[in-house]
Amino acid sequence: MLVKLIGAAVLIGATSVIGFSKAADCSRRPRTLRELQALLQMLENEISYLSNLLTEAFTRIYENSGVEAAILFKAAAQNLEAGGVTADTAWERAVDDNAPRLSLNKEDKSILATFGKMLGNSDLEGQLNNIRLVTSQLRLQEIKSEEMKKKNEKMYRSLGVLSGLAITIILF
Amino acid sequence: MSVDLIFKIAAIGILVSVLNQVLIRSGREEQAMMTTLAGIVVVLMMVSKEIAGLFAAVKTMFQF
Repeated sequence: MLVKLIGAAVLIGATSVIGFSKAADCSRRPRTLRELQALLQMLENEISYLSNLLTEAFTRIYENSGVEAAILFKAAAQNLEAGGVTADTAWERAVDDNAPRLSLNKEDKSILATFGKMLGNSDLEGQLNNIRLVTSQLRLQEIKSEEMKKKNEKMYRSLGVLSGLAITIILF
Repeated sequence: MSVDLIFKIAAIGILVSVLNQVLIRSGREEQAMMTTLAGIVVVLMMVSKEIAGLFAAVKTMFQF
């Protein structure tokens, strides 16, 4: 009997943890997208006013911002410093490596990848236009993800606990 | 033993109805339907043994 009770408690705990982590994932995505918009704004300033090199700009953004999404820029700067890669591949690799940590989905990743494709490929005006385009796309994604969050966050939480309860009752 | 079974079925009923509400609230009618169906199937499987027992009892009643 005691073993059964302990097992039931463990099961409910495990499913609850899964549910809560899914809910946390849901709420992290809009925040990341918001942060990325702010960071791209900073990058725009770096490029238009300071005309910094890409590596320098990325490092400065990472050091000055202090938000979680800035690890993208840190990773890209490190990839660039390691050498042997273009800005495009460095950025894409950084996005690929950090997407799970930032809860980005496939669409966000492809938007960021298209941003990388244009990175360092045109004159100043083209770069700024590229950044603005990506920012507006990210804003759309943010609105969508905000809706998803509203819809799914509560559901994941209650679903986790309730499914654990259901399994225990059926097995008990 | 049968009181236990009744409580179990009642608990499953409550849980399924709550799950149903949660899923419908978040706009997933299909999944809500599926959970209801799953609940019905689980309860039926639990009850089927008892029904078989009932039929056996009736059978012995009418055998001379």
